[in-house]
Amino acid sequence: MVFVLMIIGFSFLLLNGCQKGQEETNLQVLHVAAPASPITLNPLFARDAGSLEAAALLHPQLLGTNPDTLEVEPRLFASFELQADNLTYLFRLQEGLLWSDGTPLTADDVAFTLLLISHGDYTGWLYPLLRFVDGAEEYRNKRLSPYAQGEISGIRVIDEHTIAIRLKQLHAPFLSYLTFPPLPAHKLQNVKVAEMEGHPSLRNVLVGAGPYLLAAWKPDEYLHVRANPDYHLGKPKIAEIYYRFIPNIEAQVIELLAGKLDLLPTAVKVEDVEMLAADRQISIHKNERLVYDYIAINQKEEGSPLKDKRVRQALAMLLDKDELVTNLLLGNAEVLHGPLLPLHFAFDREFSQEKGSLPAARQLLLQAGHPQFQLKLIFNSGNIIRENVALLFKEQAAQVGIDVQIHALEWEAFLAALTNGDYDLAILGRSADADPDLSFHWHSQGAGNRTGYANEKVDRLLEEGVAVLDKERRSELYRQIQELIVADAPIIWLYTRQAIHAASADLQGFAAHPESLFYNVHLWSLAGREDGL
Amino acid sequence: MIRLLLNRLWQTAIVLFGVSVITFIIMHSAPGHPLQANPELRLDPTAVERWLELRELDEPLPAQYIGWLSRMFRGDFGKSLIYNRPVPELALERLPATLLLTVPAFLLALGLAISCGTWAALRQGGFVDRLLGLATLAGLSLPSFWLGIILMMLFSYGYPWLPASGMRTAENSSVSDILAHLVLPVTMLVAGSFSYYVRYVRYTVLAVLSQDFIRIARARGFTELYIVFRHVLPNASLPIVTVAALSLPQLFTGALVAEYVFSWPGIGRWIVTSTLARDYPVIMAVNLSAAALVAFSNFLADLLFLLIDPRLRFKA
Repeated sequence: MVFVLMIIGFSFLLLNGCQKGQEETNLQVLHVAAPASPITLNPLFARDAGSLEAAALLHPQLLGTNPDTLEVEPRLFASFELQADNLTYLFRLQEGLLWSDGTPLTADDVAFTLLLISHGDYTGWLYPLLRFVDGAEEYRNKRLSPYAQGEISGIRVIDEHTIAIRLKQLHAPFLSYLTFPPLPAHKLQNVKVAEMEGHPSLRNVLVGAGPYLLAAWKPDEYLHVRANPDYHLGKPKIAEIYYRFIPNIEAQVIELLAGKLDLLPTAVKVEDVEMLAADRQISIHKNERLVYDYIAINQKEEGSPLKDKRVRQALAMLLDKDELVTNLLLGNAEVLHGPLLPLHFAFDREFSQEKGSLPAARQLLLQAGHPQFQLKLIFNSGNIIRENVALLFKEQAAQVGIDVQIHALEWEAFLAALTNGDYDLAILGRSADADPDLSFHWHSQGAGNRTGYANEKVDRLLEEGVAVLDKERRSELYRQIQELIVADAPIIWLYTRQAIHAASADLQGFAAHPESLFYNVHLWSLAGREDGL
Repeated sequence: MIRLLLNRLWQTAIVLFGVSVITFIIMHSAPGHPLQANPELRLDPTAVERWLELRELDEPLPAQYIGWLSRMFRGDFGKSLIYNRPVPELALERLPATLLLTVPAFLLALGLAISCGTWAALRQGGFVDRLLGLATLAGLSLPSFWLGIILMMLFSYGYPWLPASGMRTAENSSVSDILAHLVLPVTMLVAGSFSYYVRYVRYTVLAVLSQDFIRIARARGFTELYIVFRHVLPNASLPIVTVAALSLPQLFTGALVAEYVFSWPGIGRWIVTSTLARDYPVIMAVNLSAAALVAFSNFLADLLFLLIDPRLRFKA
């Protein structure tokens, strides 16, 4: 018994630390909910959305993108210009940039970060973006030193504030890739790249240059950050942020209603919106995102009716997408007919598939010689919206003679079924790039081309699309590509959902970016909270 | 006595070895590896290869197992594949929060169960007994997550007295702040385990009460209180100790449902996310420690038996 009491007492001590001070009352403190704890605060190695969101509080971006147009904007790089050779970009850093330990942030830090990403031992997600840099591939393959040292022929530090990056060939989306942060060379140059993923100085972000600095990271509890007085865009107005990890969505809503949270980001349930909006203390914010839901069609199975384009076209006619958006998503989404999203500059509002009817679909099936067959449709269990899409699809398909078997699978099993091709149809989501370049999913060699889609003409046009800079021309090309892809009916596009945020009405200046929750977080403020709550 | 001990140790070693082999096989035959969890992640295939290579996950399974075993014997539990930190460090980080939740809940449930169960048995068929019967039935049949949500709706939203999530407001929270955060999850845990213990207590106390020596004690005119504390409880304690000892491992492995419902930063959530993410070293270490704890609690129960019951000591 005494032992047990000691354990309890000890736990308290551990948790409580030594101080028991009162909370400071005259500071603006923001409480934000997150569904999951970040795994790392190291943005170059983060592999999950939660870690990337959290890291955005602590790290500045080299370049940003405009939330409405997705055009590249200055961040740490104050200016960027393409030289006459159409291959070399000259980047100039802002003057007077500082790491939080007082060391100047210079072009050497940027060069170090680029070396690190291109290094053969780097196992993060950014390398595919840098392989367009001249010499990056050679540097990666040689792996001369275990440290991020040496030289990449295409990267040259000109002076403290200037760096030049030369590409192998013109690559229009390249600037939009440089939205990652630099890491402090003076802290990390003596760390082996293979050991950097779990390195303590990155885990605890002892040195940063982002809008906020880390005060405490309590795993599975919260991230506590304090405004960085030296942030290059200006000291944030909100003094402290608690980013609380609350896996239970109901608890998030209750805490918001009770005034203990100020912001539920991104994933407010569509059915909760009305109730929350009715509360005068709460305001609802929405923004478009670069994600969409679709039904993947497995064409790899020998003898499957899905190999026939007419069958796939018939399947694409079955669902009334307007109805999905109105009734399932309560209007918080936009119908999608092709791979370009409304946020892309190449998006074509006029483009739509002709609304098919059930008799037309039936006709196509008969033409294809598949009057009746069975299909296996999978989705990840727990996703109510997708479950309803599956049920509607099954109902419609039955009317044209297709028997759809629905399987709700646990996430890992769902992924395994996708990887092994153990499905005919699968409902899932996917994210798109800020640039309309569709190569990742639709080029026959694209790394994200899981369905094995291959169309020579599309490949050629995609290659042309990244090799010109003129926006008009690129727009034209991507619209053409979209038409070609849609004509092949490789997948069924459904809708692109909006991010829905519920915030305390006090929160001012909050305007989420399609790719980042904490966009311009330094401009946020809490009206009327100066006196403390 | 020493032979008994050695025997136990030997058996435990075999069990632990078996557990490690089976865990290893099951884990590696489950689909996926940690880098496959996010299909949208744009990792370069060479990066994935290098990642597996750096963590020796590209070797054949038997070699991986032997590597793991030899490191184990040197006291190295390995590094989490996801967090890239030593597994014991991650576990210790979460242990205080876990114990803070499970130990008070366990003590409260057991204490309440012993007092209520004894009372109910002494007044069998009385009002308290019948009320308790109803309450335990409810406690056992209501899903605990549902109870948790109802508690939250009532006391965090309807009457916003208590926080609905987390363990504290900030790093420098006061003890009362942490206690306020504890109330709802502990209540939820107690409701479940109390109903489970109290039936045992009532049943065993009833069994003791029906024995001859109690009747004799009553005939000799001892007070009821004296009989209960001197004769009934010591005799009823054996089965209760067994049940309690077998609950010990759960104190350390956490209370997953309560941790999820109330966003408590305990070990249970970590175990589940690690399993879903195929964090092999964590799963191995956790399963092995859990098995060791079960073996240890059994052993502890045996020792307590010897302590409580002189007859067993004599036989041993």
